[in-house]
This record gives sequence, C-alpha cells and structure tokens, in this order.
Amino acid sequence: MTTVAAPPTTRTKAEGPPGQRYSWSARGFATPALILVGIVLYLPFVWTGYLSFTKYSGVGKASWVGIQNYRDMFSNPEFYNAMLNTLYWVVGTIALPVGLGLAIALLAHGIRGSFWYKLPFLLPYAISGVAVGVIWTFILQTDGALTEALEFFNLPGQDLRWLLDSPLNTWMMIIASTWQGAGVNALLFGIGLASIPIGPVEAARIDGASGWSMFRHIYWPMLRPLTTVVVGLAIVGSLKTFDVVWAMTKGGPGKQSETLALRMWKSTFQENQWGLGGAIAVFLTVITVLAAGLYLRRQLSESRSVV
Amino acid sequence: MNRLTVGGVVRRIVLVALGLFWLIPVYLLLANAAKTDDQYGFVDVWKPVGLGGLWANMGAAWDKGNLGAGLASTAVYSILSPAIAVLIGAAAGFAIVALRLRHGFAWFVIIFSSTIIPLQMILMPLFRGYVKFHLYDTRVGMIIIYTVLTIPFAAFVMRNFFSGIAREVFEAATVDGASSMRIFARIYLPMSVSALVAIFILQATLIWNDLLIGLTLTRSSDVRPVMTALVAMQSTYGGSTMQVVLAGGLLVSLPTVVLFLLTQRTFTRGMALGQF
Repeated sequence: MTTVAAPPTTRTKAEGPPGQRYSWSARGFATPALILVGIVLYLPFVWTGYLSFTKYSGVGKASWVGIQNYRDMFSNPEFYNAMLNTLYWVVGTIALPVGLGLAIALLAHGIRGSFWYKLPFLLPYAISGVAVGVIWTFILQTDGALTEALEFFNLPGQDLRWLLDSPLNTWMMIIASTWQGAGVNALLFGIGLASIPIGPVEAARIDGASGWSMFRHIYWPMLRPLTTVVVGLAIVGSLKTFDVVWAMTKGGPGKQSETLALRMWKSTFQENQWGLGGAIAVFLTVITVLAAGLYLRRQLSESRSVV
Repeated sequence: MNRLTVGGVVRRIVLVALGLFWLIPVYLLLANAAKTDDQYGFVDVWKPVGLGGLWANMGAAWDKGNLGAGLASTAVYSILSPAIAVLIGAAAGFAIVALRLRHGFAWFVIIFSSTIIPLQMILMPLFRGYVKFHLYDTRVGMIIIYTVLTIPFAAFVMRNFFSGIAREVFEAATVDGASSMRIFARIYLPMSVSALVAIFILQATLIWNDLLIGLTLTRSSDVRPVMTALVAMQSTYGGSTMQVVLAGGLLVSLPTVVLFLLTQRTFTRGMALGQF
C-alpha cells in the first residue's frame, strides 16, 4: 500500500481522469437499479396518474373521462370522512409518537446506559402493524383488558366502546400506533441530543439554567433542524396509515374509521372503481410530496455536499 | 452527568416506570396467548396461567390458521429480496461515488426519490401488470417487488457509506490494474459489511412485516406472506378463537423480535438510517 503515499497528481495525469476510464462500467453498475426502479415504480406511478382520468373497472378498456373522478372524489362524503380521519392521524402522530419520543429522549439524555432504558420503547418497532393491531384489538375489545383495568381502579370511561364508536376508534388506533412508533422518534432525538456541542450547554448551566429553561433556550433551538425532519417523517408516515387500521377495524364499523390509504384500496380492489382509486392515490401523493419537502430537500442537499 | 444526582434518579425512575408500562401489551399478549379454551373467558385477562396452553394455540395457528405456509414464504422473501437489493443498491452507490458516474447526482436523485411514492400510487398498475405477465400470486413476483422496493434505500445508504471511503483506496487499486468489478467485489464490499448488514436486517424486518403488497398481489396460502395470512385468520370468517389469534400474533412476531434482541445496536443503527 505504499502507492497510497505517492502524490495523486502524477498518477492522475498518467492514467487520465478515472471518470473517463471507468465511465462505461460506471453505467453498467448503476443501470440495474435505475431500470428496475423505472419499470416497477415509476412506470406504474405514471400509469396510475393516467388511470385517475379514466373510467376503469379493472378489466377491459379504460375510457377517458377527464377530471370526472376528481369531481366525484370531492363531492363524496366517504372521501371527506377518510380525509378527516387521516387528518386525525397526522395531528395525533405529531402530538403523540413525536412528542413522547422527544420526552423519552430528553429523560434518557446523558444517563449512563441510556440505550437500555430506551429498549422497551424500541422493541415494538420490530413487531408488524398487523401484530400490533391484533394485540390492541384484544386490549380494546368491548369488556376487554382496558375496560377491566378501568373498572378495577374505578376510573371513568368504563362504558366506552373503544373500537365501535367514531372518532374514538381512530384515536385508540393512533394510541396503538404510538406504542409502536414512539421508540424510533426517541432514537432520532437521542442522536440529535448527543450531537449538541457541550460548550453552550455548560455555559448555560454556569449561568444557572436548568430544566425547562435549559430545554427552552438550548436544546429546543439546537434540535430545530432535526425536529423538522422528524415531523416531516411523521406526517409522511401517518398519511400512509393502512396496516394498523386494516388489522383493527378494517375501516369500520361501516366506513367510519377509514383513512385515505384504506379508502383508495377499497375503492379499487373491492368496489372496482379504479379511476376513483387512482384519483385518491394522486391526491395522497400530492400531499405526501409536499410534506416530504420538509425533509427531503435537506437530505439531498446534504448528500450533494458529500459528492 | 454520570454522578447520581436527585434529578438523575428521578429521571431513571420515570423511565423505568414508563418502560414497564410500555411492556404491558406484551405481557397481556403472553398471558392470553397461553390460555386454553377452558381458561379463556373464565380466568381474568390480567391473570397469568403459565405458558401451558401456548404450544397448542401456536400449533392451531400454524395449521388451521395457515400461518405455517405463510411463514415459509415470508422467510424466503425477507432473506432473498434484501440480499439481492443490497447488492444492486451497493453497485449503484459504487458507480456514483467510486467510478464517478457522469451525472451521478441526477441518477441518485431519480433512484432515491422513488422512496416517497406512496404504495397506493403503484398498486393498481402493479396488479394489472402482474396478472398480465403471470407474476400474480407467484413467489417470483413477490421477490421482485420486495427487491425493487428495497433498492432505493440500499443505494442511498451505500452511496453515503462509500463516500466515507478514502479516494486513495480506489486509486491504489486502479494502479494495480484491477477491473471495476474486482474493486467492487474484493475491496468496497468487504469494507462495508457493517452497513450492508444494517440495511439487510432493517429491510428484512420491513418485508417480514408487510401487509399491503401481500394483500394486493397474492391469493393462495402457499404464496401469501404471513401478515396477510394473520389478518385473514383474525377476521370473523377466519374461525379462530381469540387466544389462537393472539398465539398467531406472537408466533409471527418472534423472528423479528428475536432478531432485534440479538442485534440491538445494528438493528437500531438501521432504524435510524431507515428514517432518512
């Protein structure tokens, strides 16, 4: 490995820029990824966009109907219901898993072996949305474990039907999903807290700051960029909510707890209205891309600086 | 900060209490997945009965609930797909960083941006295309879609990882006249085992836990992934008792939970990477 120590300029001149010498094999290495992503992800993406302007039942030919599906979508009460529930999911996910994650990360910050304290919160992340749904359906069923616990401690809420009344069922499912997701946010905030330079923290401590004022004036401003990313991720994740709801209520009773992602699936694969399903998918994608803008630009620009 | 202060003790107590509270659902799952038909509904849900009935309930979930077939399929998917995807993604990252692919950043943006597309936006054409090309309800079809869904993330992480490898490593190899394939396979891949493993473990877990793809692209119990089978079993038409469904939920969660417990650091590293 003595060649490593040689001045790089002489070698570059002798061999030509590596970009030329390896340009063909470079394309060869990157092409499989691009082709697969192009055919399996981008092509269907465009096709769904086209389908959203057609009337199509899944078989036969699709006929062009212009913006009719979008008109139908915006005059459809089921769509508004799904949109409202999805809004609950977005707001609930920012408040609960993100808020709790931040709280856990702050509590564990600087404690020796903080990883072990976070372990119980990280564990549910390994469990699927479906299994989380199975567990929480059991806990929340009428006269189930939660109701029994409330009776035992003589607390209010004993006669609530957790999964049968709306919007209560959506909020209970958000709690189930919080159980699964809070740990990831604690992990991310933990990484963010660990990267805060010790200088300002010590300076503030000497000035007598502690507790709330420390959080308010030191940690919070320094976590701001990370918080933006975490909130962006939470919004994008909650817009896609499907598994937990499918496993717990299937969107029911009736259609009361459906999310947009669920409504799209049912419109398409159960009610054979592919055009409408496509319109919902496009709508969902537009909001997702807007929300992803919160963190994606930052990521890509950071990546660019690495190149 | 490592001195035991009053604040530190309070924080530890709060964390432990909250942690125990967090484990209550796991306790309830274990306590009730183990109840026999005689015990369930008669013994309080909060009371444990030992683990006597667990084996029989898991067996019922395996056979009558068809989870056995689903587990076999899912095991194939979640090992093969991330393994292939990691290699394809790493190759793309290698081309962009080490081989200095022309317009590499544009390639990267195109490949990576596909991660924000909601699955809903591709399911319909995927279903039609799979039916047309006889990939619907086949294991090959499932391996393909899981692989492609994993590639952008693998390319993203590996590109960033390769950026951290000194340029001199590549240049030294070119002086020796090594082909790009040899540099990739003999130098870059071995140097990045830790990143490859982190991606593999996270993506294997995500594929293991998938519901939506299985729900859309499979039908028969031999091809259907395990989460889709569990959902079918849990529905009112599944004909399984609650304790058997719970045992099924436990059964399908064990592999990923064990994986998590065995590889905590690598797993959580992948988790953190997976968010970006």
